[in-house]
Amino acid sequence: MLARLREQVQVAAKVAEAGNNFIRGYIFFCLPRGNLLHMNAPQLIKLLLPILFPSWRFFSSIGPSPRIDVGFIAEAGGAPESWIPFRPIPSKIMFTQQIIRLFHNPQWNELLYMNSCAERLFEGGDVFYREEIAQRLLKSIELGEIVSPANARFMQFRIRAIYSEDTDANKMGQVKDELFLQSQAYVLVNAGVKP
Amino acid sequence: MTLELAVRLAEILLGFALFQQSLEFLRGHGLEQKLALIRAPLAILLMLGIYPLWVESALLVTFLLLIKRFHGPYNGGSDTMSMLVLLCLWLANLAPSRMWQEIALGYLALQLTLSYFQSGLVKIENLEWRSGKALREVFAFTAYPVSESLRNLAAKPGLLVFASRAVIIGELLFPLALLHSVTLVVALLTTGIFHVANAVLFGLNRFVWSWLAAYPSLIWLQYRFSEMAG
Repeated sequence: MLARLREQVQVAAKVAEAGNNFIRGYIFFCLPRGNLLHMNAPQLIKLLLPILFPSWRFFSSIGPSPRIDVGFIAEAGGAPESWIPFRPIPSKIMFTQQIIRLFHNPQWNELLYMNSCAERLFEGGDVFYREEIAQRLLKSIELGEIVSPANARFMQFRIRAIYSEDTDANKMGQVKDELFLQSQAYVLVNAGVKP
Repeated sequence: MTLELAVRLAEILLGFALFQQSLEFLRGHGLEQKLALIRAPLAILLMLGIYPLWVESALLVTFLLLIKRFHGPYNGGSDTMSMLVLLCLWLANLAPSRMWQEIALGYLALQLTLSYFQSGLVKIENLEWRSGKALREVFAFTAYPVSESLRNLAAKPGLLVFASRAVIIGELLFPLALLHSVTLVVALLTTGIFHVANAVLFGLNRFVWSWLAAYPSLIWLQYRFSEMAG
C-alpha cells in the first residue's frame, strides 16, 4: 500500500517536473520574441518596465483632487436639475467597519481607480479614462447604488477639481472648487431610449 | 532565514494579497470579474505551494491582462508591488542556479527598501512636506480621507508637522533595517503600523498585504548579510 503510494507520488513529481520544464521552455521561447498574449515586444516592454524598475514617489506633491458628481436628465438635450456626489464619504467609520475594510473594500478601491482616471484627464488623458468613469457610474445606477428619478432617461457626470491656491510653502492657500469637465449624456440602461 | 523559507513565506503572503484583491474584483464586472474567477483559485494554490512555477506563470499572465485592460495598474503602487513580488518569486523559481535565485530575491528586497527610501527622499526635498503643509492639504481637500471626521485633522498643524517629519525620518532610515536583526524588527514593525494607519486613514488596504508579501525577502537578505559578516 505504502509502496504504491510512494510510486504515485514519484510519478506526480515527475509530471510536475516535466510541466515546470515545459513552462521554462515556453517562456524562454516566447519572451525574446515578445509574442506572449499576442502583444508585440515594444508593448510588452512598455508594460513591464515600470514594474521592473518602479518609481516610488508617493505623494511627492499634492495636486488638484477630483470629485465626481452625477446628474439625471429626462429629455434628450436637457440638463440636470441637480448634481449628486458619487460615493460621498461617511461622517464617521466604526472600528468594526475599519477592520472589515482592511480585508475587503471594493467600492473604495473602485473610487480610487475612478479618481485616478479623473487625474489622468486633468493631465490630458484620452477618452478611455472618461469612458471608464461613465461605464462605472452607469453600472452603479443599474445596480441601484444611485437611485435615479422615475422619469430619468439619461445620465450625465461632471468632474470638479479641488485645489488650494498657491501661497507660501508652509501655509495652505484658500481651497478652490472648479468645474473641470461636464460629460455628454449617456443613455441609462433599460431607459428605453434609442441613442 | 533560508532562501527557500523566504520564498515559501512570500508565496503564502502574496497568495493572500492576490486572493484579497480577487475577492474585491469579484464585486466588479467585465474582464476584471472574469479574471478574478481565475485568480482566486490560483492565489489559493500559491498559498498552498502547489506547482508554484505554473501558478506564478498563470498569475503573471492575468496581471498583464489587467494592466492592458486598465492602461496601467488599477490600484497604483499596491498593484506594482504585488506584480514585482510575483515576478521576483517567479524568477527565483525559474532560476537555473542558486546565484540567480539570490539575485531575484535580493532585487525584491532592494526595491522594498527603495520604496521607503525614495519616498522619504522626495518628501524631504519638498518644503511643503517638511512644514506639514502637504499633509494638511491631504486631510483638508483630497479624496483620500475615508470619513468627514478625519478632515478635522487638517486643523491640527502641530500634530501634522510632527507626523510629516516622523514619516520622512522613518522612510529615510528604513535601509538601516539591513544592518542588524534588531533594526530589521524595529523597521518592519514600524512600517507595518504605518501601512495599517494608511489603510485606516486613507483606505489603502491593498498596500498592507502587497508590502507584507515583500517582507520575507528583506528578512532573508538581512540574514544573508549577517552570515557574510559573521
